[in-house]
Amino acid sequence: MFHWLEKRPFFFAVAVFVTIAFAGLIEILPNFAQASRPTIGTAPYSTLELAGRHVYIKNSCNACHSQLIRPFKAETDRYGHYSLSGEYAYDRPFLWGSKRTGPDLMRVGNYRTTDWHENHMWDPAGVVPGSIMPAYKWTFTNIADVDTAYAEQITIKNAFNVPYNKPIPMKDGSTTTVALADSLSGAHASALEEAKVVAADMKNQNVKDAVANGQIPEIVALIAYMNSLK
Amino acid sequence: MENRPLEYDYTVAKMFMFSTIILGIVGMLVGVILAFQLAFPGLNLMLGEGLAEYTAFGRLRPLHTDAVIFGFTLSGIFATWYYVGQRVLKVSMAESGFLMFIGKLHFWLYLVGVAAVVVSLLLGITTSKEYAEFEWPIDIAIVIVWVLWGLGIFGLIGIRREQSLYISIWYYIATFLGVAMLYVFNNMEIPTYFASGGIGAWYHSVSMYSGTNDALVQWWYGHNAVAFVFTVPIVAMIYYFLPKESGQAVYSYKLSLLSFWGLMFVYLWAGGHHLLFSTVPDWLQTMGSVFSIVLILPSWGSAINMLLTMKGEWQQVASSPLIKFMILASTFYMFSTLEGPIQAIKSVNALAHFTDWIVGHVHDGVLGWVGFMIMASLFHMAPRVFKREIYSKSLMTTQFWIQTLGVVLYFTSMWIAGITQGMMWRAHDEFGNLAYSFIDTVTVLHPYYTIRAVGGLLYLVGFFMFAYNIYKTMSARRIEENELQTASPMAA
Amino acid sequence: MNKLTIWGIVITIAMLGFTWMAVGGSKGGMGADIVNQLAVAGAVVLVIVTVFVVIKYVRQMQNDTASGQLADENWDGIGEYTNELPFGWAVTFLLSMIWGMWYFMIGYPVNAYSQIGEYNEAVQAHDARFSAQYADITGDRLIAMGESVFLAECKVCHGLQADGIDGKAADLNVRLEEKTVKHVVLNGSGSLGYAAPMPDRNGLFNMNTNNLITDAEIATVSKYVANGMKGDGADTFAGTCAACHGADGKGMAFVAPNVAEYTPELVKLVLDHGKKGAIGVMPAFDRLNDKQKEAAGAYISSLSK
Ligand code: HEC
Ligand code: HEC
Ligand code: HEC
Ligand code: HEM
Ligand code: HEM
Ligand SMILES: [Ca+2]
Ligand SMILES: [Ca+2]
Ligand SMILES: [Cu+2]
Repeated sequence: MFHWLEKRPFFFAVAVFVTIAFAGLIEILPNFAQASRPTIGTAPYSTLELAGRHVYIKNSCNACHSQLIRPFKAETDRYGHYSLSGEYAYDRPFLWGSKRTGPDLMRVGNYRTTDWHENHMWDPAGVVPGSIMPAYKWTFTNIADVDTAYAEQITIKNAFNVPYNKPIPMKDGSTTTVALADSLSGAHASALEEAKVVAADMKNQNVKDAVANGQIPEIVALIAYMNSLK
Repeated sequence: MENRPLEYDYTVAKMFMFSTIILGIVGMLVGVILAFQLAFPGLNLMLGEGLAEYTAFGRLRPLHTDAVIFGFTLSGIFATWYYVGQRVLKVSMAESGFLMFIGKLHFWLYLVGVAAVVVSLLLGITTSKEYAEFEWPIDIAIVIVWVLWGLGIFGLIGIRREQSLYISIWYYIATFLGVAMLYVFNNMEIPTYFASGGIGAWYHSVSMYSGTNDALVQWWYGHNAVAFVFTVPIVAMIYYFLPKESGQAVYSYKLSLLSFWGLMFVYLWAGGHHLLFSTVPDWLQTMGSVFSIVLILPSWGSAINMLLTMKGEWQQVASSPLIKFMILASTFYMFSTLEGPIQAIKSVNALAHFTDWIVGHVHDGVLGWVGFMIMASLFHMAPRVFKREIYSKSLMTTQFWIQTLGVVLYFTSMWIAGITQGMMWRAHDEFGNLAYSFIDTVTVLHPYYTIRAVGGLLYLVGFFMFAYNIYKTMSARRIEENELQTASPMAA
Repeated sequence: MNKLTIWGIVITIAMLGFTWMAVGGSKGGMGADIVNQLAVAGAVVLVIVTVFVVIKYVRQMQNDTASGQLADENWDGIGEYTNELPFGWAVTFLLSMIWGMWYFMIGYPVNAYSQIGEYNEAVQAHDARFSAQYADITGDRLIAMGESVFLAECKVCHGLQADGIDGKAADLNVRLEEKTVKHVVLNGSGSLGYAAPMPDRNGLFNMNTNNLITDAEIATVSKYVANGMKGDGADTFAGTCAACHGADGKGMAFVAPNVAEYTPELVKLVLDHGKKGAIGVMPAFDRLNDKQKEAAGAYISSLSK
């Protein structure tokens, strides 16, 4: 039979394809619908947070940082509760990473704060002696891309029914809503409101001035994103 | 007419040989820079504060992985295909103007794609998925390049004179099909500019899958990208170049057959080992572990088949650096396909995952197996495509030992670094508290990071020797016109 | 013994010895942790199996000769033998498939493994062991435990010396810095969970002057508190602050914290609630247990003594 195939490239290719294709179906499909259901307390990203997430991706922070807490005592002691599938329901793409050159950041919003991030992103080794993380000074001057974040929000709301402007159940029984502006200028305005809250806790005068002038440096968006990781 | 040997046309093969070498240098140079950055973080600023954004570790890392995978390795695969394909199918590219045109188009479009990748990654335009960082416009270019290659493969097969397909061809076909399937599904993404009616960056897209599902699709891709780029086509190479260079017949057809179909069947099920202890279901993780163990056998099957092909030929191994490269490549192949399954055992992965031990595993595979095989293949091809003898055998021998030392330093240091760090992360002290803060587990790695960087540098130096040797070969003494059969001619 | 085998043994011993030295001497240590032991065992198996299997084939290269029936086909001069499968390989492949099927169909389901279940057991075992031990940890041992918490969790912000790294976080070697006190007096404070918050300057009445506290008084009293309740400003403190913080500044339970020295109670409140002040924001630490917080408190209180 194999000799037969080896003389017939078409059937050979079909046989190879069938052999390699069906494993994927069996592994990916069965759990597909269930895995995308959010847990209670998981909300979609706001415009500023999403812009910050894009800064995170742009600089490949995921090359050194994971966002996946495995169920081991040592790991939950260090980072907090182990990860649940539904907590990632709004993560497109997922950012689990595969290498921990630096620590996990899945819940970093619980135990690091705005001013600490500000110092750390400016000069990691100045805060943590021996750190090998690069400094990210340019994020203090580059302006965050709110437009693209807003475009992505519209896209996922339309394509995947991400519940913007809808009540989202929280763990304590209350609900919250994540607003999605109905125009680009509205998105800029609401992102700026969020940015002001972050900038208020920061010390870098250029950043504060920029926000006061209606601009959002990347670092502000990035910190808003990291603070949202809980 | 009948008795004249075929004139094979190596134009396209030559083009891809050049890109293999150039992109190999780029990719490995960046790898060495990354390695030194982890040991000496000041190097993140190597071009000054002003360019720091483009020289920081995070920006450069995807450039390294994509340059060596989609640049160096793919070029090597294409170069050997355009060489081996003609010969084992007994048909020349020169016989079809159409295939020749497709082949050249394949090369030039590929180069355009590579240029776009380099620029976009330096600018930070990435989707973050490992080995699938490219945004949708580049995805489209890649699909076109791939289709062109497919046309070339099946076109050549269509006009072949050799009825039945040689083992290497099986593996090239599988490479083509496997990557096509995986790449398309993992890159399902919606361009946000168009979906939002023209807002934001035109090249930006958002993944069709979210969270756990995205991870599942990504590692189904990521694992099998390793299969179909770092394993399957490299096996295609060794099945041609080792018997050819040594003049020995392949040890066992049955073993080739079982290894091939075994590999095809088993590989795809093992992707779960990248997601152990994550939020994907337990059964899926277990399946990944179990199939990883079974995978040892079809992997080792090919390696053993090659080692047995050299039965009784020790004098060749001893005297030919080219054969040394290939024998050591199979050895490293065995090493990494045993190491992988060991790391896929859940309890071992609990320690190894996220650490440098994985990086060590990656590089004993890619440096010792992929890199060695591609260089050996090009060494074998050079005298035949340029009709010259290899410039220097002693340079080649020196290169072999330098690079072997480089690989050994690389993986031993990373293995120790990984196990050390993994243990420190897990350690509790006498009070039940974490014994180390994260930074303590970073600073201990400094010596190992330095050793790795030196090992990588040695490998790069060896690669430069290889490039120089090939370059000088092009201008070396011409050899007789008649078809070279086995051992490649080398000057001292 | 064959030269090759000796080489194999030498290489194996060298690699394993090197690993053992590095890992054994590393700070992690194997301990009773099955994961650590299995990982190292895996590394050992990896080296031994690869080295000796390769040696087996190298010896065949040296001593054996190629043999067998050549197949009819031939590609570009490459022939192919019709040799049978190597016996060991074939048997192992078969066994591995049987094992795989058995494991996935029977071994795994019957074992009913769940990673979360395993985690819960590990946590229970850990807690059982240490909660029994915690009762005995007091005095200097408690301070040592607190130092261990501090080094793992707090030093990234407060620095190895607990000096706050040039004002980036609170300097824990002194109870309060002047700017911190001043900030609290000007703006009030209320995150630590006391029954009533500390008012801002518009709620701080100086009973000596029968007036709201003045800028000058704020300046002196801040210096006074930061100086360890010494120097000028004692009268303002007595008139304004003592009502809540006590005459000696040592605080009153449920009313206001001790501003004269660190106490474990205060540190616990800070760790429970977090704190925002002149320097920045201190996060709450939900993931520490009560004993760890108590220990951290004992350690920090010991620093400024
Ligand atoms: C070269 C690898 C590397 C890259 C790239 C990197 N980091 Fe880090 N990061 C580290 C290391 C190592 C540490 C631990 C030492 C320290 O705290 O500085 C760390 C620590 C951190 C921490 C502190 C977490 C904690 O729990 O203490 C945060 C937050 C962080 N990084 C964010 C980022 C962000 C955001 C980016 C990208 C813009 C980034 N990192 C890129 C290596 C890296
Ligand atoms: C009405 C009661 C009240 C009065 C009067 C008062 N405090 Fe307080 N003080 C508090 C309470 C309650 C807190 C804890 C606030 C919190 O929850 O953050 C506090 C906190 C503080 C702290 C911060 C301690 C720390 O480590 O975070 C300082 C410093 C302080 N008071 C100084 C003063 C001084 C100086 C005065 C007088 C000028 C004063 N307080 C008057 C109730 C008072
Ligand atoms: C993310 C950074 C960060 C971490 C981690 C951190 N701290 Fe702090 N801590 C701060 C900052 C900033 C302040 C100063 C707040 C202010 O402005 O008053 C502070 C203040 C304090 C204070 C003084 C509060 C007062 O009222 O005087 C104590 C006590 C303290 N930290 C203890 C700890 C302990 C114990 C840990 C570890 C378990 C820890 N901190 C971890 C940032 C941090
Ligand atoms: C039997 C064959 C193999 C098995 C079972 C296997 C298994 C594994 C495992 C368990 C991991 C670690 C996943 C993690 O914890 O992060 C891994 C990672 C990796 N392996 Fe293998 N491996 C095999 C062969 C190879 C070979 C031959 C190569 C290359 C030549 C290779 C390249 C890689 C790469 C690149 C990664 C890193 C993926 C990432 O980015 O995280 N593997 N492999
Ligand atoms: C000159 C030699 C090389 C050096 C010094 C080198 C160095 C590095 C470094 C430092 C990293 C990052 C590891 C980390 O994040 O901790 C890396 C990752 C990687 N390299 Fe290399 N590299 C070299 C050659 C190659 C080659 C030739 C290939 C492939 C053919 C390759 C494939 C990869 C892959 C796939 C990864 C990602 C691994 C992972 O995510 O687990 N490298 N390399
Ligand atoms: Ca990786
Ligand atoms: Ca893509
Ligand atoms: Cu894999």
